[in-house]
Amino acid sequence: MKAAHEPAPLVYRHNRVTRLSHWLNALALLILFMSGLQIFNAHPHLYWGNTSQPDAAFLSIGAANEDGEQRGYLQLYGRQIDTTGYLGVQQGALAPSARAFPSWLTIPGYYSLAAARRWHFFFGWLFALNGLLYVVFNLAVGHLRKFFFTFEDARTVPAMIGYYLHLRKESPQNGEYNPLQKMAYTSVFVLLTPLVLLSGLAMSPQLNVAFNWLPAMFGGRQSARAIHFILTFGFLFFVFAHVFMVLTQGFFNNMRSMTTGWYREKLPLRQEAPSAPREIRPDIARALNSEGPRPKEIIDLVSIADIPVDLVREGATEVLPEADGAGSTLTEQEGKKDVEPGS
Amino acid sequence: MSNPDPELTRRKLMLGTLQGAAAVALSGCEKVLDSLSQSETMHSILESAEHVNRRVHRLLSGRYKLAQEFTEQDISPTFRANGNPPPVTNEYVEDAAKQFINWRLEISGLVQQPIFFSLAELKSMPARTQITRHDCVEGWSAIGKWKGVRLEELVDRARPRPGAKYIVFHCMDADGDGKHYYESIDLIDAIHPQTILAYELNDRALPVENGAPLRLRVENQLGYKHAKYIRAIEFVAALETIGGGKGSYWADQGYEWYAGI
Repeated sequence: MKAAHEPAPLVYRHNRVTRLSHWLNALALLILFMSGLQIFNAHPHLYWGNTSQPDAAFLSIGAANEDGEQRGYLQLYGRQIDTTGYLGVQQGALAPSARAFPSWLTIPGYYSLAAARRWHFFFGWLFALNGLLYVVFNLAVGHLRKFFFTFEDARTVPAMIGYYLHLRKESPQNGEYNPLQKMAYTSVFVLLTPLVLLSGLAMSPQLNVAFNWLPAMFGGRQSARAIHFILTFGFLFFVFAHVFMVLTQGFFNNMRSMTTGWYREKLPLRQEAPSAPREIRPDIARALNSEGPRPKEIIDLVSIADIPVDLVREGATEVLPEADGAGSTLTEQEGKKDVEPGS
Repeated sequence: MSNPDPELTRRKLMLGTLQGAAAVALSGCEKVLDSLSQSETMHSILESAEHVNRRVHRLLSGRYKLAQEFTEQDISPTFRANGNPPPVTNEYVEDAAKQFINWRLEISGLVQQPIFFSLAELKSMPARTQITRHDCVEGWSAIGKWKGVRLEELVDRARPRPGAKYIVFHCMDADGDGKHYYESIDLIDAIHPQTILAYELNDRALPVENGAPLRLRVENQLGYKHAKYIRAIEFVAALETIGGGKGSYWADQGYEWYAGI
């Protein structure tokens, strides 16, 4: 724990490209998810293999008439679960109607496969190009390295889980990102995203012409469709976990870092950590903030710290107040916010 | 319970308010998204992806790469029939009973001169047989063995005039409003080796529900491009003056004209 009289400094954590692509990505994922469910509704069955024999679906969402009442169901490998009120049937203005995913979960809300496809393919491009921009830029500036999951990280995963479960006092984190974060982000980058893109493309008949192996690598065109659907819930799981962590690990701090870039370090970085440079020493900030020519050694320090000078200037005003203790007010407020909902 | 726990009611009230707020936010979002889905401007913005897809896909596929072909073992036991019901006119029904001896395929439009072919004449031309997968826009797939005449053969015989860019397929089936089905492809897809006018499915005469006597197979695109019950082929320079102006029965209803995805 850090000393109470010396609040952790703000660090510039997310560059402009990261912040922009993060929010574009959030929008794209939301629209892809909801329009994808509408597309699924056109044929709410999943199969393995190349073709779709009607009785061979391993998953179906549907509606059945039971004693004059419409019941929704989800059928998975022959087992039926009653899902009335959630899936299969939706109460309309006049009468219940068969609908796999309810209208509040789909884009558009009314039934239109054509419109859903337009949304899906447009935002599919946005998702892919935005992801490409993010990866290329952050590879170039060396940002991706910081949360790339390594074998060394794998060894500290149990310790990190222990820390989150309050079984351990000390976090094994020794960089900006802890091993669990690295694991989550890396699996999204190297597994989830490539697979969701490829399984989506594998459904295109023209790309089947261009690359015969594309549907085959998933075990057939219907398998690709099933995998595309299942991976969607991988993203959903990631988003829920991500939002949960943001809400519980300092909502305002996290939101500030993803909108302005500046994050208040909560854990003291371990001494042997090589990643301290992102901290801005108060004396540097003070010097930058004052009028007059900049001392040369400050410029040198800034360039060593790998922070663009104009960005330091931007954040400098934020760093200064806490050097004389005023910054702690914010931390207290944040603490209160976290406690409030329970009272 | 006569005296409900005040803590509990308060919590319920708060939860209720939250739920209400979420519902209002959701339905607000839904209204915005629904009206965006119906707006012309948004339509054309989203549609821009279709043109990108068409260009990128063709760049990746080239003109003569083939769609995956399958073996006899892969053939689906039943080949699902979708779309409009078969034509119900007396002419069609009577002709179907007589193996379509009176049916003629008309080829017209931007050609040297219109020509007509009987089913027997089409069957006497060089044929191609292919076992391919049919992917419906709804999401299902079926594998079938198709035999038919290559469309390129008919393009050659029709001798299109300069300026001809698309081929429109006029069909005999109609929807409940009496609107006839039609489809179109460009000449590049038309001369693709696997683009055929099929008269056989799984070694038998094309069944009525699958589009007898003649249907298009254009294997690089989704099922709705594969026009059934073809009556006439028309070479045109542009699609705006045909049907609803979008080049296809389904495109007129908001689906993509390019159905390669």
